[in-house]
Amino acid sequence: MGNFLSGLRPWKVRQKGRFPTRRKKMAVARDMALTALFLAAATLISFWFFNTVPENSANIALAYITALVLTARFTNGYLYGIAASLASVAGINYLFTYPYFQVNFTLTGYPVTFVFTLAIALVVSTMTTRIKEQADALIEREKLLMEAEKEKMRANLLRSVSHDLRTPLTGIIGSSSAYIDNYRDLREEEKLKLVSHIREDSHWLLNMVENLLSVTRIHENSMKIATSLESVEEVAAEAVMRFHKRYPKAAVEVQAPEEFLMIPMDAMLVEQVIVNLLENALVHSGSSRPVELTISCEEKYIAFCVRDYGVGIAPERLETIFDGSGYTTESALDGHRGMGIGLSICKTIITAHNGFIFARNHQEGCAFTFTLPMEWGNTPKKE
Amino acid sequence: MNKNIARKSILLIEDEENIRSFISTTLKNQNYKITTAANGEEGLHLAASLCPELVLLDLGLPDMDGMNVIEKLRTWTAVPVIVISARSDEHEKARALDSGADDYITKPFSTVELLARIRTSLRHSSQMQDVSSIYQKPYHYKNLAISFENHVVTLGDEMIHLTQIEYKLLTLLAKNSGKVLTYTYIMEKIWGPYTDGNNQILRVNMANIRRKIEKNPAVPEYVFTEIGIGYRMAESD
Repeated sequence: MGNFLSGLRPWKVRQKGRFPTRRKKMAVARDMALTALFLAAATLISFWFFNTVPENSANIALAYITALVLTARFTNGYLYGIAASLASVAGINYLFTYPYFQVNFTLTGYPVTFVFTLAIALVVSTMTTRIKEQADALIEREKLLMEAEKEKMRANLLRSVSHDLRTPLTGIIGSSSAYIDNYRDLREEEKLKLVSHIREDSHWLLNMVENLLSVTRIHENSMKIATSLESVEEVAAEAVMRFHKRYPKAAVEVQAPEEFLMIPMDAMLVEQVIVNLLENALVHSGSSRPVELTISCEEKYIAFCVRDYGVGIAPERLETIFDGSGYTTESALDGHRGMGIGLSICKTIITAHNGFIFARNHQEGCAFTFTLPMEWGNTPKKE
Repeated sequence: MNKNIARKSILLIEDEENIRSFISTTLKNQNYKITTAANGEEGLHLAASLCPELVLLDLGLPDMDGMNVIEKLRTWTAVPVIVISARSDEHEKARALDSGADDYITKPFSTVELLARIRTSLRHSSQMQDVSSIYQKPYHYKNLAISFENHVVTLGDEMIHLTQIEYKLLTLLAKNSGKVLTYTYIMEKIWGPYTDGNNQILRVNMANIRRKIEKNPAVPEYVFTEIGIGYRMAESD
């Protein structure tokens, strides 16, 4: 028996390394209490049984075996199951076999009972421990996957940021230096041109910074956001207003449902998404027709659709357009700055809202649609 | 601006030199008299000795929290305070407004925006000081007209029928047109001081008003939402 117990040591050591000591102490206390509880319950039931139907003592063993199985299932490791089985064997012997209240292992067949109880305890403990280990491994693997996903997103974001921030900063520094170095020789309209370039670049920079700041509202590890009930039309209205502030001449046609709708969201973030999509439509469609923002209410979600009548999106980019990658070549081609960060931030925000975002071409241009759930269930949807 | 009118004095409390200089330049060009302070302590001193007609206050000061500056100012003066905030945190703006600031403006802002806010705040404070202003000038902007005396709201030629709460809500905003009113403030004014934190009833009433006065409620012309903070009504002509 001593050898057997010492054989279990490696397991104990491993366990120690995995848990912080305080938590481990608490777990031990909990397991011990559980074991005691199950055994006590079995003993009580047995006593009651023993007093009502003294002839049938097989049920007493069954009660103890149930306690064993439960102990093995709800405690960590083998130790408690084995301890419980020893206690059961001793308990049955002491309490319920003749001579009562005496330990007597010389009864016929008793070693067999002993071995079987021990075997049951061992088998059940092994099984439950393995199940628990498998569950742990699964959780671990999922965590790693999520971590890798987040890492990829972060890397993409950083790549886009360093590109997209450097460009306007270069413009601002260049234009202002040109002004300071040559202000005596510059003609008025040249000065004006330099300063308006500075303003334009700063606005671009501001837009970028606002996008980046908006992401800080999303809780970094859990990707959770603080939501409150917000009116859909108010959020849309403010987004359009913010868009107009930056592009006073751009026309937007807004259609919202007549119904008054309030859904859970982080309004600032959703506003940012709408602004980004409107801006994307304006800058990249190459069309002068007004951009349309249509909000429609479905049974379980609300859909926001930003539709433009421009050049559309190359089919091979549709799938990766929200990744924040592969935009540089394209932006160099059409001469506009990429929406790399903007769109990938849209995706981050909408995903954090348990919604979906996708881009589609239609006959006369393209449409970006995102959905927000009307209600948040307890289990967030996974893609 | 007419030279005969005494120049309005403005105190700017802001620690960033670049921003101080660009605001000063803009305001001087608009014929305001401007004094600047680089920290809260100095700002409070200047406010007490100069008695400016308006204070522009940056919330992120090196020596004290801007919120404290508002509270200290409010212990002895009703001078309008416009908060300049670099933070896009809407709760903080609402807190500044609820602790006594008159309006806020978020960095970065355009000079046009800043001047509009200053004009609105100065106008409201002069109305407050004017003892004979029991008479409230009717609200008028684009097609919307509100006569406070006759309790009549018209949109173009059409009379708008509002419920009692809706009317109270709309006139509260109209009387403070151009200024942002926080949810807390409106709730207290309309539903009394003992309402709970839930402002859904306010949102629903606002939505109903919007359906009555706006052509497209999603593109409002008269009542604007400041997400997470409150409502602002377009300034009366």
